[in-house]
Amino acid sequence: MNKNTLSYKVKQFLMFAGPAAVLFCAVVIIPFVYGIYLTFTSWDGISKTKPLVGGANYAAAFADTDYWHALGRTAIYSIFAVILINIIAFFLAYLVTSGVKGQNFFRAGFFIPNLIGGIVLGYVWKFVFNRAFVAVASAISRGNASSLLATSGGAMFCLILVAVWQYAGYMMLIYVAGFMSVSDALKEAALIDGCTPAQAMWNVTIPLMRASFVQCIFLSITRCFVVYDVNLSLTNGEPYGSSVMAAMHVYRQAFTYKNYGLGQAEALILFVICAVVGITQVYIGKKGEVAA
Amino acid sequence: MKRNIKKVVTTVVAAVLTAGLMAGCGGGGASGGSSDSGTNITIFNSKMEIQSQLEEKAAEYSEEKGVGVEVYYSSDTVAAHLATRYSSNEPYTLSMVDAKDIYSLAEEHAVDLTGEEWVANTTQAISIGDKVYGFPVCIEARGIIYNADAIEKVTGEAFDPKSIKTTEDFQAIIDKLIAGGMAAPTGVMKEDWSLAAHFLAEVYEQHDDPDAFIAGIQDGSIKLIDDEKFNALMDTFDVLKDNNYAKDAAISAEREITEQKLAEGEIAFMYGGNWDWAVINAYDYSENMGMMPVPNDSGDGTNEKLVGGGSKYFFIDSSDKTTPEQVQAAKDFLNWLANDEEGQAFLVNDCALVPAYSNNELPVADPLGKSVKEYADADALVANYNYLPDDHYSVCGASMQKYLAGEIDRAGLADEITKYWSTAQVGAH
Repeated sequence: MNKNTLSYKVKQFLMFAGPAAVLFCAVVIIPFVYGIYLTFTSWDGISKTKPLVGGANYAAAFADTDYWHALGRTAIYSIFAVILINIIAFFLAYLVTSGVKGQNFFRAGFFIPNLIGGIVLGYVWKFVFNRAFVAVASAISRGNASSLLATSGGAMFCLILVAVWQYAGYMMLIYVAGFMSVSDALKEAALIDGCTPAQAMWNVTIPLMRASFVQCIFLSITRCFVVYDVNLSLTNGEPYGSSVMAAMHVYRQAFTYKNYGLGQAEALILFVICAVVGITQVYIGKKGEVAA
Repeated sequence: MKRNIKKVVTTVVAAVLTAGLMAGCGGGGASGGSSDSGTNITIFNSKMEIQSQLEEKAAEYSEEKGVGVEVYYSSDTVAAHLATRYSSNEPYTLSMVDAKDIYSLAEEHAVDLTGEEWVANTTQAISIGDKVYGFPVCIEARGIIYNADAIEKVTGEAFDPKSIKTTEDFQAIIDKLIAGGMAAPTGVMKEDWSLAAHFLAEVYEQHDDPDAFIAGIQDGSIKLIDDEKFNALMDTFDVLKDNNYAKDAAISAEREITEQKLAEGEIAFMYGGNWDWAVINAYDYSENMGMMPVPNDSGDGTNEKLVGGGSKYFFIDSSDKTTPEQVQAAKDFLNWLANDEEGQAFLVNDCALVPAYSNNELPVADPLGKSVKEYADADALVANYNYLPDDHYSVCGASMQKYLAGEIDRAGLADEITKYWSTAQVGAH
């Protein structure tokens, strides 16, 4: 059989990638394209007609100050969370690959927060912030301490803390794989050549782990930008709407305020921003990657 | 080049297959799955606290009447949930929605119920134009919930809620309670729906013509900060706010805790509605609780009325997915709820709701409902204003929260609400 014919290749493709391609189209590509169409309508989500309104939704999205505030908030949240997640994950990974006693137990322990669903996790932490912390603080100060979740800065802090707690363990696993992929021979050679362990880490191990960094930063950025579940269960946007993240604003715009087209347009803008940030970061990261 | 063409071809093939798949899905979306024994209807319930009662009753009803009744519940926003059902071509036969949803949905999606028997027995049905679309499930009203046992225990005298009419009266009883040892006699729910959709809404609702009042704010002819009603109600709100047990941390007060304190008599007053009974009765509640109007000084008699009316409405789907037999079965079900003894008992006794029908004279089970029924029977309810925009409760709720937390003063609050109305539009009606 000639392996170079078109029909052979089509068959091959369909056999191996067909089911996945069909599913991908059905649940991602088609809704995405349909979503773009909806941004040009003033549909409310339920009426039978979807009147076309041209670019009005985009104009409204750019004029929606609440949306841009939410986006700004999301950016601040993401910057803090991404930096903290990666620093902590890196040190955790270093810790559990350095041969401490019971390191497999620690690996499992640090990873567990990631196995708890975001909604549950939000409620658990809400209890911790509203009751446990308040009780401890009241006992210490002998006064009536208020919850961190009651102030706008405090609510953001809580969101970041929970994100770090949730994702650090997951990113740790990727860094662990990175640490393991660096050959011991290289580290040993550096030490023999007179590097201190810190120098060996900085000049040999970390450059060789660049791929792990690129991956972890990409994953944490994209996840932080579209955070919704923890936002919903932990703060629900409160106090005074000062912890509404972009995704929550989009949901409210589309479903609660029934501006489906506008919500969809704002979602698309969020997607574009997310994609641009993610791709830029991967591009910069990959450019300097060292081939081991 | 050749590679590219192949790529395109494979993509097209994949797309065609996908389209085939989609078409396959689109065909078989009829709801219910009719059994051999006649009609089946589906009911969407958006009142969580009656879900288990409704499921049980539906099973009984199915057996008795030979009409299959399936009950669904979703904790999602009502409009969002119905939107997904309509997009997937699987509308419910009967959907329970909020009043504002009837205005936005009914003309396209609801069956005209004008000739139904129950229409004559209620003042709360929703009509658009000359057609009746919404079947009121119950009456709910807002006001101040009091715990008379707690008050009498501290003051040592009988408590008559009717004696508290003005902000001054209210302040006086609170001072008495404080003097008697109740450190902080009130609770304030920080939830945006309570602050904005319920309390702030009273500012609009207690005007004779809420439409004109809102239009006045919008065109600037009414300065909210100078409005008598706004100030009268906010004065009372200040009393609630200043004597709040969680005054220092008003924004982290949890609803359950507040209601528990009220139920157990640790505090005496909270602004709320008769639906709060579903929370209060989970605790060790006092026997003598009830609801009274929000005291205020505007002198127009609103301090002798609760605010409320029909709450939660059934409509019957009019799309071609619902057969005439199903529509008839749904109409029968509504009539059964309103007129049949068993249906009436179900609403009042099993679900503990305040009936919206004058021919349903069963005594209401819970104390808050009793107060509501009393005011409703005396025609002392200020009507709900059902046309606030969908984002009103969250945007103005955030402003009310800032006020509650002391971040802004009353002028700041009035500014933010006025700013909100400069772009917001009331719903069509």
